[in-house]
Order: sequence, then structure tokens, then C-alpha cells
Amino acid sequence: MAEDAAAGGWSTIESDEGVFTSLIETLGVKDVQFEEIFTLDAEAIRALSPVYGVIFLFKWLAPNAKDRSKPVDGSWDETAVEDHGLFFAGQTIQNACGTQAILSVILNNDTTSSPTSSGGDSSHERIEIGPSLSEFKDFTTGFPSDLRGEALSNSQMIRETHNSFARSSPFADETQKDPSQLSDEVYHFIGYTTHHGNLYELDGLQPHPIKHAECTPEEFPDKVIPVLQKRIERYPQGEIRFNLMAVCGDLRKKAELFGDAGMLEREKRKRKAWEWENSLRRHNFVGFTGEVLKGVVRQKIKEAKYDQWVQDAEATTRKKLEGRQKRGLGAEQLQE
Amino acid sequence: MSVAPLITFKAGKCEVDESTGKVRPQPTPGYVYLYSEEDLMHFCWRPRSASLDEPEDDLIMFPSDGSFTPYQKKQVNGRIFVLKFSSSSQRHLYWLQSKSQSANGDPSHFSSRDLKIGQVVNSLLQGEEVDVQQAVAEMRSGHPPNDDDDATMEDVEGQGDGGAGPGATGGDIRDEGEGAREGGADGGRASGGAMDAQSIIQNFIRSMPGSAGGQGGQGQQQKLFTTLQDLLTSASTVAWVDAASESTVDEALQFLPPNLASLAKDDDDDSATTILDLNQKRDLIKRVLRSPQFSQSLASLTFALRDGGLPSIGEALNVPLQNGGYMRRGGVPLGGGEAVEAFLKGVQDLVKGDGDEDDKMETS
Repeated sequence: MAEDAAAGGWSTIESDEGVFTSLIETLGVKDVQFEEIFTLDAEAIRALSPVYGVIFLFKWLAPNAKDRSKPVDGSWDETAVEDHGLFFAGQTIQNACGTQAILSVILNNDTTSSPTSSGGDSSHERIEIGPSLSEFKDFTTGFPSDLRGEALSNSQMIRETHNSFARSSPFADETQKDPSQLSDEVYHFIGYTTHHGNLYELDGLQPHPIKHAECTPEEFPDKVIPVLQKRIERYPQGEIRFNLMAVCGDLRKKAELFGDAGMLEREKRKRKAWEWENSLRRHNFVGFTGEVLKGVVRQKIKEAKYDQWVQDAEATTRKKLEGRQKRGLGAEQLQE
Repeated sequence: MSVAPLITFKAGKCEVDESTGKVRPQPTPGYVYLYSEEDLMHFCWRPRSASLDEPEDDLIMFPSDGSFTPYQKKQVNGRIFVLKFSSSSQRHLYWLQSKSQSANGDPSHFSSRDLKIGQVVNSLLQGEEVDVQQAVAEMRSGHPPNDDDDATMEDVEGQGDGGAGPGATGGDIRDEGEGAREGGADGGRASGGAMDAQSIIQNFIRSMPGSAGGQGGQGQQQKLFTTLQDLLTSASTVAWVDAASESTVDEALQFLPPNLASLAKDDDDDSATTILDLNQKRDLIKRVLRSPQFSQSLASLTFALRDGGLPSIGEALNVPLQNGGYMRRGGVPLGGGEAVEAFLKGVQDLVKGDGDEDDKMETS
């Protein structure tokens, strides 16, 4: 077993529509995108149909329930995997959980998911997942969930794709937490989707998929909202650090289908913005920073403002530190 | 939120040489300590000179994900524990710095007290309730007070002298109450820590050897100085771009991804060659300067400078540094705010040597 942590390591990636969409496209998935949902409103989700599921990101709290024999909401469905071919993988690596949640939605809605086992009437389009993910899904058919989880975390293809979206930080060990992250809170991703006529919550940290209600793909927007609301209510009031993303069909296609030129324009522009951000994410900025720093230093010297400039920066840093200390945070994290 | 360690004991870090598998203990005297915050256990290491809220390593441990066990695979000259994870192949090795209690002088012998330390830590990592005070009391009973002196430990490559030389100060295992005596323990500490020099160089300068020595010397983390983000404010960088000549702008663009130009254009022109005029080029650079990705990279780079990366960063950017960015006594890079300051001074020297921007004739 390799001692080298980086070889087996998964980086943290941002919860961002552009990152997730690009991630699945790189894995070979066709015509699917992620769209952030800002209001807990069934119509907001329905407007994006076909919707395959949602990814919910939230600050992880240790389960208060001393009762570990059942989930807080819903009930464990121990037969869904074996009897109905539900794809569910146990989580083995913290940093992989975003990709894991994404795959838990995608791999339950693809063309190999049998329409009859997945809820009957499929006016519901199936996702083309491409050869790599098909191979992965085939390979793990019949595996128990913990083994599926292992297979996922050991998949070089998936891990490398995931890691290619890590923040642009050429110096950090991939497996370490990013120092420029503002907080030390741990976030967790879970997926919600329909399968075999039921609404499932797919959380790799749970021993089984959690069934919440009977649900068809068409009813999904309506039925998932109250489930999410209950979840959010578990948190202290005012704790709004969560993020919801719908997994839906490529909106450019939808715009073309409806002949909506305005929407098509917007979606194309959005894609360009995503590409821009992803280019910057992958970029090693050290050289550019060198140029910028040289240029600024040169200018400050020329304008006889160098000392003032450094002093101002020192004052800013000091002030930030004092602010953090007042709020009870550590001294070593000089980012912001 | 204050950090109240559940257990603290003297320990140093070990480096593992990937190619040879050799375990190299690092001499810095330190403490391993654990604390719990919001039901999550934190496993920390700090040099003894640093305060409680400045650990070098602060690992958040999911219950039962981590284990802390004696490392007995190799011939070593000391008592080493390994922190392992079931969720990844990461490992961290630590060596006990308290004086060895072995009767026959075997430096790798774990006394019952040593094993007890490991058990307590391991149990805490499993999420079990541990009466640490009780355990510590048991450890202390029956041991003479001078047992707590430091050990030294030879590098495994050295030929087996087994260093059990008593070192310095007393005071060792602490329990819950004593944590508060560590002055100024404020701060639920962010767990970004742990980037040793080896990790820093990885992925970037492939030609550089992995290890730039240990972290910056003790006492250096005290100097604050400033950060690259606070120096390169929008005001400063935009002022530079707006006043820069076309050749300077072009040179800066060389260091950005080549496809940005076509992405920056608003129209649907997807042509392979995109020509931008000077204003458009400046706008593009400004857009990059304002991006969260660039800010994050400044924060990461600052962190890397503070954490021992100064020599390699200086080399990569051709920035002249005194002693190459190492401390005068050699072997250890500058760290903390001093490293950032040295870096900035180097850039200043570089720029002064270049002469006036408009006279710059060199090509790069």
C-alpha cells in the first residue's frame, strides 16, 4: 500500500454548478447540468425539468440521535439495492462526498436503470452516462454498498477527474484541507432522487438508502421540498449555510426545443462563464503573481509610495487578525 | 470557543521518505494534543514554542475514522506511533519525546505508560468516552518524577546509537484542566494546518527535490508582517495594469491560460484566434485580478511562503534571496511573516536591478 498520501488522495472541490457540470461531462455524461436552487420552491425545481434529483450540501453536525437504529427522518430501505437495483455507495473518503452524491443521482437515472424498476412510466428521459461510468456501474453491480464505496474511492478515473477541479493551489498536498478556505467547518453532500416509485435520500454516511415517500419523477419537485425543509429545521435558526443544486437536463437543449432565443443566449453565456472559472481554477498562478507583484512594487517605488504601501498592508493584516481573535478564531489562518 | 485539550503529550513528527521507506524523526520538540469541538475530535501537533491556537497540524477526525497505534514495522531507534485513517491512505507518524523508561536501554521499547497514552488517544479517536484524568493518574502512579525528561532520537539511517539522552524540561502528560494554563488559548482553530515542505513542492516544481527541510524555525511564526492578499489589493493592482505598457501587459498575459482571450469576449465569436486591443487586454487582466480563484491562490501562496516554501518559490520566480531563503544556520527555510517579508524584499531587489520599466530590453 502506497505511503504516498497524494496517490490515494481526494482534494476538496467547490460546490459550484460549473464545477459539477464540467465534472460529469469530463466523466462522459451527456446533456446534464447542475443548476443552483435558491428558494425552496417546487416550481423552481419543476421549471428545470427533466429533473433527475437534487444535491444538498450542508454543514455536517454529528448526529444528536443517540438512537442509531433508525434515521432521524424517513426509514431505511435495506432491500432497494438488492431487489430494485438502486445504486448506493457507502462513503469512505470525506473529500469525495460531492462526487459521490452526484453519482448517486446520475447512476440511478441512466439508460441502464430499468424503467420498470425505476418507477414505471418513463416519460422521464434517461441519462447517457458514457462508456467509463457504464463500465464502473457494471463492475459494481451486485456489490454491497461498502464495497461500492471502496470501488468509487479507488477509481483512478473518477478520482483524477474530481481532483482536476480542486482549487488552484499548486503547493498544497491534495489531501489536506485548503488553507484558503475561510472556515474549518466540515460540509457534507447528499443526493435525493426517485427510484422504483419512491423518494430516496442517498447519504454515504448512512448504512442504507433512506426512503421518505412514494414518489414518481413528476411528483419529485413537490415531494422533495417538505423533506428538505424538515432537514433544514434540524439546524439552529439562522443557520443558513446550505446549498441546493438540481441535477437536470442541459438547459441549452431545452431552450432550443422551445425556440427560446433569450434563454439560449443566457445559457450559452453561463457556460462561457463556467469555462472561464474552470480555466482559472486549474491554473497555476505563481508565475502570474510574480509578474503582478513585480509590476506593483516597481510602480510603488517609482511613485515613492513603497513604504506607505507596505505599512498599509501590515495594518490591514493586523486589523483582520484582531477581528478574528475577537471572534475567537486562530491566528495562523491569514486568508481572506 | 477555547481550546481545552483532552490530552497532551510530548511528541515529535516523523517524515517518511517515499522512495526508501525510511522514517526520519524531526528534531523539533512538540506536543501532540487532542481537543473536541462540536462533537468532532481534533488531532493536533504543535512545536512547543507555539501556542495552543497555533498548531501546525490540526486534523479533524470523524469518529472511528482514525486510529493511533504503535508503529512496529521497522527497526527504529525510538517509540513511534502512527495515525492512520480508514477513509484514506494518509498516515502521520509521531515519536514520543518523553524519556524512555526501558530497563535495558532499548529506545524502541514501549513502556506500559507509553502504551497507555496510545490507548487513550486511540479510544478518543473511536468516539469513546475516556476518563482521561483517571488514565493519567494511573500512568503517573509509581513513576519517579524525573521520568519526564526528553529523549533524543537518532535518525534511523545513523548507526544505532539509540539516543536516550535526557533533554530538557519536565512536565509532560497533561489532563483537561491544565490546558487552560497555556496562555491565550482562544480560538476554535481552523484546521488548515499540516503542510510540510514536502507537500508544498509537490505538483509544482517537478525538478526540485521533495524536501526543503523542516518548517520555519521557532519564534518566526510570531512575526506577523502581512499577506500577499493585503499587499495586492485591487487598488494597487488595477493602478498597475492601467499604467502598464503594452509589452508589460503582453508579458503578464503569457502567464495566464491561453483560452481566456476567447472566453472573455462577449460575442459568439468562437474563432480560434482572438485578437484583443490594449484596453481589452487590460480588462481581461483586471477580471482575473478580481476573481476568487486568484485571491485564493494569493492566500495559498502566502501560506506556502510562511510554511517553508520560500526557497523554492524564490527559485521558481528568480527572486534573489539572502541565503537562498534559508536561515543563516542553514537547512531550515525561513518561515512565518519573516519569509513573506524576505520574499517581498527579494522582489524589490529584483525590480531595482531591472532598472526603469520602459527601459526593459530583456525578453523572457
